[in-house]
Formats: sequence, structure tokens, C-alpha cells
Amino acid sequence: KQWYQREYGVPVQKSPRFYPTEDCKTPLKNRRVVKPTKLRGSIVPGSVVILLAGSHRGKRVVVLKQLPSGLLLVTGPYKINGVPLRRVDQTYVIATSTKVELPALPAIGDEIFKRKGKPTKNEKEMFVDNAGDNSYKISAEKVALQKEIDALVVPAVKKVDMLQSYLRSRFTLTKGQFPHEMKF
Amino acid sequence: MLYKRYIEIGRVCFIRLGDDIGKYGVIVDLVDQKHLLVDGPDGIGRKVVRLNQVALTDIKINIPRGCKTKTVRTAMAKEGVEAKLAATSLVKKFAAKNAKAQLGDFARFKNRVAKTASNRKIRSTVRKLKKSS
Repeated sequence: KQWYQREYGVPVQKSPRFYPTEDCKTPLKNRRVVKPTKLRGSIVPGSVVILLAGSHRGKRVVVLKQLPSGLLLVTGPYKINGVPLRRVDQTYVIATSTKVELPALPAIGDEIFKRKGKPTKNEKEMFVDNAGDNSYKISAEKVALQKEIDALVVPAVKKVDMLQSYLRSRFTLTKGQFPHEMKF
Repeated sequence: MLYKRYIEIGRVCFIRLGDDIGKYGVIVDLVDQKHLLVDGPDGIGRKVVRLNQVALTDIKINIPRGCKTKTVRTAMAKEGVEAKLAATSLVKKFAAKNAKAQLGDFARFKNRVAKTASNRKIRSTVRKLKKSS
């Protein structure tokens, strides 16, 4: 047999052409798996919840669902206590044991809550145009969605005796009441 | 002032503080100036309790000092201690206080609304009576 006809073994993994003179540590592999936020067992679509922070603090509000971002979608309903469709983190909320039977609601995602970013510099212009009114204006789409949701949730609330006045009232602590000793 | 409820063997006492709160037992022996040996139904068994943990009731049964748990329990069943206890105001008040603590936020709201409504009625009636007199 000639040299070109002989059979040779070739390594599957060749040894590297270069390796450092000293062993250097390799960083650990990032094995992080992004999981959806685990919702507290006490919070369920339809449960009444007390908001603890923000301009609506103390208000009792109905949870509609958990959004894909992990936040709770919540509504007063707007007609009852002025809390609109809003996203809220479950850590800023006290869950009560009261639950409202909600009918089937239209699908809502995180997209309608995304705010428009600040105007960024255009390549051609020198300065960023901040002179215009960049304050937040509620979109007509949101107003329409709020009306639609209220039309479904408010009748469900009115079915339960005194629940509407309960949602209109704010949560307060009086003398002798300690939240860690209270049952909600 | 005449004391009517004595710390004595056979006195039924209601435990108002500590781990065994809400339970009751019968005084079986005295340990020292501040401790009692108490024996009761399954939930509590035979145990030393402090005097301040305990509230004495009107009920007293006949048992010898330091008798066995079995004896205590048969004596309690014979006298109908549990039924008598449930009728005492002490136990009733404790049960009411417990029930109030278990109320949820909505129930507390409803109670508050009812209370303000009734208070308003009472005040207006009193005012009317004052005016007429």
C-alpha cells in the first residue's frame, strides 16, 4: 500500500495550538433560568387587595390577573374608587380574603402600559427637543378599555352586599390595631 | 371583700395566657406559691402552670390530691365540667374576643358601618328625649 492509501486515525478534538503558561480560572457558567414571578396563594383573579404605596395607597381594589411581566393587573373599578387599570407589584399589596366572582375579561397585556420614552437626539439635530409637552396623556384606547372592564366588573361587585361601599372606603389603622396581628 | 373562688384541689381553671391559651384544667396539686399542677382533657394533659396564666372559675369538682389523669377525667365527665364552663361568662367573652380577631377586613368594615349606624340612632334618640324632657 502507498502512503495515501493507508488508514490513519485522526483525533476528533485536536489539542489547542495555544494555551496559557499558567492555569487561569474560568468564570462559572450562568445557569440562570428566568421564571415567572410566583404569585402569593392568597392573591387570585377577583380577590380584593389593599394598595400600600403610591397615590392610591389605602384603597381597596380588585385584582384582575397576573400579567406576563409578573405584576398584578388591578382596577378600582374606576367608577367606584378612581383607581384605573393599573399594574401593581404584589409586594406592595395586602391581600384580603374577600373575592369577587369575575366574568370572562378581555385579554390585556403589558403593552398598553408601556410609556413612550423621552425623545432621543436625532443625528442631524444638535439639541434634544424637550420644549414640547411630554407629560403623560391617557390614550383613548385606555379609556375605552377601562369602560369595557368596568362594565363587567362593577355588576359583579354590586352583587355582593356592601362590597361597593367597602371598595370606596380606604384602609386605615386605628388605636390598638396592629397589622401583624390582624387577619385580612 | 369575700373571696368566693379559692385555689384548691378540684378547682377548674381556665388558661388565659401562654401556649395553652383557651384550654381548661383542674387543679390537682400545688407546686409552690406561684405554680399549680393542672390536669385536663386531651389537649392539655397534666402540666404545671403559673398562677398568672390562669383564671379561676366557679366550678369545683371532688378529686383527691395528686390523683391520676384517668380519675380527673372521669370526675370531669361526671360533673359535666365542659358544659358548665361553656355557660360561664369568662369562656363566652374569650370566645367572642377570639371570633373578633379572626374577622377579615371586609367583616371588620361591615361591623364598623353597623356600629356607626346604631350609634347614630342611639345619639339621636337620646337627643330627642333630652329635648322633650
